Order: sequence, then C-alpha cells, then structure tokens
Amino acid sequence: MTLPGLLIQIFFFFIPLSMLFIMSFTLKDSFFFTPIFTAENYLRLFRIYRIDLQNTFFLTSVAATLDILLGYPFAYFMVRKVKRLADVFRAILIIPLFGELYIAYGLLYLILPGGPVANLLETLGIPALEALYSLPTTILALALYTLPFVVYNIGVSLQGIERSYEEAARCLGASPTQAFLRITLPLSLPGVVTGWLTSFGWNLGAYAIPILLGGPIIGTRVISNQIWTTSLVVSDFGMGSALGVIVVLITMSIFYIVTRLSRGVLV
Amino acid sequence: MKSLKKEHVHTALVYLYLIIVSILILMPLAMTLFRAIFTQSEEGKLAISIEPYFTISEGFWDKMQVSISISLVTVALTTAISLPVAYGIVKYDFRGKKLIFTLLNGVWYVPGITYGLSLVLAYYFVYKFLLGFWGFVAAYSTGFMLLSLLTQIVAFRNFDPVFEEAARCLGAGRLQTFLRVTLPLIGPGITAGVILVLVLSLNEFITALLISGPTRIKTAPLQVFTDIRHAGVRPFVAAEATILQLVSLAIVIVYLKFFGTKYLRGSIMI
Repeated sequence: MTLPGLLIQIFFFFIPLSMLFIMSFTLKDSFFFTPIFTAENYLRLFRIYRIDLQNTFFLTSVAATLDILLGYPFAYFMVRKVKRLADVFRAILIIPLFGELYIAYGLLYLILPGGPVANLLETLGIPALEALYSLPTTILALALYTLPFVVYNIGVSLQGIERSYEEAARCLGASPTQAFLRITLPLSLPGVVTGWLTSFGWNLGAYAIPILLGGPIIGTRVISNQIWTTSLVVSDFGMGSALGVIVVLITMSIFYIVTRLSRGVLV
Repeated sequence: MKSLKKEHVHTALVYLYLIIVSILILMPLAMTLFRAIFTQSEEGKLAISIEPYFTISEGFWDKMQVSISISLVTVALTTAISLPVAYGIVKYDFRGKKLIFTLLNGVWYVPGITYGLSLVLAYYFVYKFLLGFWGFVAAYSTGFMLLSLLTQIVAFRNFDPVFEEAARCLGAGRLQTFLRVTLPLIGPGITAGVILVLVLSLNEFITALLISGPTRIKTAPLQVFTDIRHAGVRPFVAAEATILQLVSLAIVIVYLKFFGTKYLRGSIMI
C-alpha cells in the first residue's frame, strides 16, 4: 500500500539526489559532456567557501537561538495558560509558512526610509539605511520564518509532561519558579533541542531572506546563494552540487537526531 | 482578594506576550498590505488607491492561473498517494515501518535549493517528458507529501476502529468499509493536509525558481520575486505580493471557519 508513495519518493527524490551526489564528484560542468571524476570539489570547498559557511552557520544558529527565546514562552503559554483566543494564535502561526519571500519583502518595507521602523530608528539616532541591509534584520527575518516549527516542537514536548510532576514539586515546597526550572524546563529540553535544530536546518536553505535583506555583503555570501551562483551562473556544476551535498548531509544528520529525540511521536 | 488580582495581572501579561509575538509575525504581511493600498502622492501624502492592482506585471494573472492549477493537481495527487501510506502506517505493524517513514520524510529536510538543483539534473537527463506542467506537479507532490501524510496519520490515529469492525460484522467488504465508513469519518482530518499542501505549493518559491529553467514555466511567486529584484519597493510589486498572500490567507481562514484548528493539531500545530 505504501508503494505509490515510495515510488514517487524514489523517482523524484532519491534518484535526483543521487545524480547530484555523482555530479559533485565531477569537474566543473564535465558531467554534461564526458564526466571527469575527481574529489577536488570537496578538497577545495572548505577553502573557497569558508566565509560563506561561517556566515550561514552564524546567521542560522543565532536565528535558531532567537527562535527558542521567542518561542519557548509562546509554546508554554499556549499549552498551559491560554484558553480563550488560542485558535487565533494558532492560526497566526500558519502565516510564516506562506514563505520566506513575503517575510523578506514585508520587512524591507518596514525598514525602508519612510517606513515606520525607519522613523523610529532615526529618532533613536540609528541611520535607517544601515539597518536595512544588516545582520539584525536578516536574523529577525530568519527567526520569524522558522518560529512555527520551534513553537510546535517545544509545545509537543510540553504536552507530554505530566502536570502531576509539577504539582508534586509544589506540594514538596518548591516555588512556581523553582518547579519550572527544576522540573518542567529539563523535561522539555528535547523539544528545545529539536526546535533549535529544525530551525537551523530550515534556515540553511533560506534564499530570499539573505538576498533581499542582507544586501550585497551578507546576502550573497551564504551557502544557498553560492549554490545558485556557482552552479547556474558560473556553471561550475561540480562545485555547486558539492555544496548542495554538504548542506544535505548537515540537514540529514539534524533530521536523524530530531527523530531520535522525539522518540517516534508519530510512528 | 489580593491573589485574585495577581492572577489577573499574570493572565494579562501572558496575553500581552502572545500578542506582541503575533504582531511580529503579522508585521511583514500588514506592511505589504499597507503599501499596496496606500500610495504616496507627489506632495508626500498617503492616499488610498487601487491603482497598483491595475499596474501589476503583464501576465501576472496568467501565472496566477498556472500556479493555482499546479497546486490543485498537486493536492489531488498527494492526497491520493499518501492516504494508503498513512492507513498502512497506522493500521499495520510491519518490519521496516520506521525506515519507510524515515525515507518518506527525507525530502522535507532537504533545503529547496538543493532539491531544486537535483531535479534540474534529473529532468534534463532522465525525465525529459516532464519538462512542463507535470514537472512542477511531480516536484511539489514529492516535496509536500509529508505534510499530507502527517495530517492523515493524525486523522487515522483519532479514528475509532470500532466503526470499521461493526461494518465488517454487518457484512461489508474491505473496500466498502473503507469507502463508506472510514473515509467519511476521517474526511475532515484529511482536509488539514489538503489545505497545507494547497497553500504551501501555491507559494513555493525556491524549488520553483530552479525548475522553472528546464520546465519553462513561471509561477506567480516567481513573478513576484523577479519584480522585487527588478522594480523593488514599487506599489505594483506590493500589490502582487498582497494578492498571493491574501489568496493564501483566505484559503486558511475559510478552512478554519469550517473545521477550526482541531485537525491541524499534532501535525504542525500544538
């Protein structure tokens, strides 16, 4: 019964990905003519693209951390406190799923000279143009993009915690803060880790946000943009796909850890 | 009395936090909407104008049509393909179940840019017949199958097998039971996956950007991206982005009005 599902994944996911893997071992665009096999792409990759890898990992890890800080209280309140309007907040969390393109574009308007935030920044003495193509804006956009996944992951792990544990701690004389720090927080850590990793993995592939908000300095020197430029602009398909393979290896190992940590919530 | 007051302050703070984060999330959408409605006149005054909607790029509506038809076909295909998978995963215990689920999940964790690049290769070399409309459908169906699968698994989980057993006892065949008892009962649960795949495939951008080369099809989000790159923050670009977002929002709101968030929980929502 699972056959059609498996077949479509094999034909349109595994075969293409294997081709990408093979291509990553060929020189430049030789894959399209007579393939010249070499491991050179991988040897040169870390030297040439060190800055891009660093930039990407920096952006994504800071965004993921910001996501945890924003998302943990959100998930906690949703699971434990909120009854009224809960559906409205849930619905709002769907909006980032529309895509990074709109988030980037909307923020562009917000910070552009003449926009509301630009005016605020000017009164604070920060030139708005500096904020436009800057690190904080890019990170905020990335964080907003992946916030729903973080809230979901943390929420699921919070839902799995028996309330009686907390009550027991309270009965034994712990203050609410103590009960939270000693009981709830440690028990929800798997959710925090999976949330962080999911956000990190998703943002590795973000393309529109860095390019539209990061400007010429940050925006072009991230892996996603280099995959595009290297393979489709410079036509160095070998190197481009090697970069792609590296990204897939990272996200796949993240996926592996996440499934291990979430202990088969679904299967 | 005092503790009651404290509780009220607590609740107020909780809601305040949730509202602030919600505003952060809604901000980009609200801003685009604002810019697509209010146009600055030459004296620098803001005025409501629907002019941007008449100056959007030529062919945008055609692309919108293409996008919508791709999405609809994708939704039909993913739902049909993942339904038996979800049923099998929930109902039966078999060896390698975890492995199969993991294999089906994989594509969700591969960034769009890499996935798109690998598809470009595959389309050029192997699946030449897919250079066109079906190239998009195949890519989207593969990429979004997991969403449909997850919501269906949740739906089957919440379904009480007693109804099925009763139907079987009363002499219904396997297929008959599935069509007349199981399907109507889990139907609303399936709609959750339908809505997610519909909205996400309508807005998919990065994979589309890559496969638009070999397939020679441009979807509406690609037009928006091209216009952002070329025309920047002009009102007509905001109008295009708004149209796409409002269509998606309308789909989501209509869905939530009918079904609420019940069926979405457990797959992407807490």
